[in-house]
Amino acid sequence: MSTSPHILVIDDEPQILRALKTILVEKEFKVTTAARGEQGLTLAAADPPDIVILDLGLPGMDGFEVCARLREWTQCPIIVLSVREGERDKVAALDKGADDYLTKPFGIEELLARVRVALRHAGRAKSSKATKITSGQIVVDLAWHIVTRNGKEVKLTATEFKLLAYLATNAGRVLTHQAILTHVWDPADADRVEYLRVYMRQLRKKLEANPEQPEFILTEPGVGYRFLAD
Amino acid sequence: MRRSSFTSEFLLHYIPAAFSIASTTLLLNVLRQALDTPLVALLYLLPVGLSASLWGLGAGVIAAMAAFLAFNYFFIKPHFTLTVHSPGDLVVLVVFLTVAVVISQLVGRARSGQATAKAREFEATQLYELSASLTGYLDTQTIVRIVAEQIRGFLHTEKIEFFLHNSEPLSLKLPIGASSPERQADLILPVQAGKTVLGEIRLWRATPLISASEKRLLKIFADQAAFALERAHLAEAESRAKVLEESDRMKTALLSSVSHELRTPLATIKAAATSLRSGEVGWDSKAREDLLGAVEDEADHLNLLVGNLLNMSRIEANQLKPERQWNLLSEIVASVLSRPHSSEGHKVEVDIPEDLPLLPMDFVQMEQVFTNLINNSFKYAPAGTTVRLSARVSQDSTVLVQVANQGPPVPAQDLERIFEKFHRITAADRVTGTGLGLSICKGIIAAHDGRIWAENLPAGFAINFTLPLSIDGKLAPQPPLEAEA
Repeated sequence: MSTSPHILVIDDEPQILRALKTILVEKEFKVTTAARGEQGLTLAAADPPDIVILDLGLPGMDGFEVCARLREWTQCPIIVLSVREGERDKVAALDKGADDYLTKPFGIEELLARVRVALRHAGRAKSSKATKITSGQIVVDLAWHIVTRNGKEVKLTATEFKLLAYLATNAGRVLTHQAILTHVWDPADADRVEYLRVYMRQLRKKLEANPEQPEFILTEPGVGYRFLAD
Repeated sequence: MRRSSFTSEFLLHYIPAAFSIASTTLLLNVLRQALDTPLVALLYLLPVGLSASLWGLGAGVIAAMAAFLAFNYFFIKPHFTLTVHSPGDLVVLVVFLTVAVVISQLVGRARSGQATAKAREFEATQLYELSASLTGYLDTQTIVRIVAEQIRGFLHTEKIEFFLHNSEPLSLKLPIGASSPERQADLILPVQAGKTVLGEIRLWRATPLISASEKRLLKIFADQAAFALERAHLAEAESRAKVLEESDRMKTALLSSVSHELRTPLATIKAAATSLRSGEVGWDSKAREDLLGAVEDEADHLNLLVGNLLNMSRIEANQLKPERQWNLLSEIVASVLSRPHSSEGHKVEVDIPEDLPLLPMDFVQMEQVFTNLINNSFKYAPAGTTVRLSARVSQDSTVLVQVANQGPPVPAQDLERIFEKFHRITAADRVTGTGLGLSICKGIIAAHDGRIWAENLPAGFAINFTLPLSIDGKLAPQPPLEAEA
């Protein structure tokens, strides 16, 4: 990525647009803004962005629709913005193809971190897949099915490894309960959150120094989980 | 209608009257040798009076005329003609006719007067019963039912329908479940208060036909019903006005609390932003860092307030529907503790057994409960003390959760009231918050079929709550276990 990444921000609040544009331009991104969903789609088609920041509560065509329309032709990362009370909305947007979400109001550091993760993930998806993922003292070797902590192997069950591998290959991204259950278990088990809760507890017990204060696998309340990689 | 009433009058009253004269004539004819003319006339008065008293005025007159003709024809010479020869007999005849008619009139009138009095008494009783049973009822449904049942009771209708077509249309059909007769209603009574038609009563009764007096009574019933309905309407309007007044009072309290609470962080933000802009604060000074920190903290605080207000309005509107899934209490607590809190060196101790079963909880709502309880502890307990969070399965298949701190005790009379909206034991200007935290916890716990209460500990204060182990009678499922590779 020699040129600066192109970010398209779609939000109907002029103050948010102004603030985001100021900050992102400062951080040397190329920024395009749209106040409505339709306008955002037109701009995206004219000049494909590297990443889209999309507010869910747009007038007219809402954020979910915009998300679905974008996914018809582009795999560029989409970060949705929503309000605190909208867990269901976040899940719906993630299931419609969004990559990540941020809850309003958010700190700018948080936004920049999410943008970096999304860009890195998009870059990784294009290049050959890494077979080793590192997070702190944890190394997940996807090719050999080995997990080590501080260089020592951690014994995992088949499902625990599958769960960790799925989270690690999507490091930095939030994965919904449903997506994890469908992928690690079976689409028929998509509602069995209890599986996830129990296996996640076991996994954390084996990986985290203090399972009550997880460092590697974070809980996204009401939405899902996120694996933090280096 | 008139024709048929005449027919029934004819059949039931006049025929028996005529028959009584005929049988008297037969009897007198047998005994004629032993009787003289005046005695015959006297004996004829007997059936006349009887007819008038039994069958009414009309029957009496008919009997009188028939007796007059029969007497003349059979017993006045020349026999078997209507002619009269002797002037004495003529006098007897005329006197007989006069007496017979007068007697039948008098007896008949007395009888009909008595009937009227009886009918009046019946009406009065019915009306009394109606108004007695309507007293005290202020809901439309009951009033309609009472009126319909009362009408059915005295009128013995096949079917009665009561329709109300005001703001909330209502219809009641008696007997319940019976299908409507296929013909048009035999009587439709409007129910109206003043000029406003409130509804109507439809009646079906083919026989006997609804009489004029019954109609009059029905009319009065309809008026009584309208009156009672009006009264109910007024009472309802009055209680609605009271509720509005109460909610208005709550809103005023909310607004004053909210505007105070919202303005405090706004004032800080405004002050910090303006002083940063003024150029008085050096770029690398500590003051600059502090001001920026204050802006961020206060913005977070505002966000929390808005969230609390939203939650409260959801609880008030019964819109707080928890999405209860099998969740780990320890994971929820860990998620809450991973977020920054404005503690002043408080320590948090978590004591949740590892084998505590999964509980049916809404993850986000329970996070809110713990956030509010922990923040409260930080707010009221002295700096540097410990907040202890524990959970145990108790005997009654619930889990008992306790958030305890080393803060000051709450006066016994306030232990329940602290869960009310805007209730605060400490003066409002000393502690920040909306006074909504605990009432939100109460709303969420109640929506989870749990119970929440406060208690003073030997050295501190605690909020306890229970959560059921099962939902819809089902306990937490056990995911299949597997061995390590």
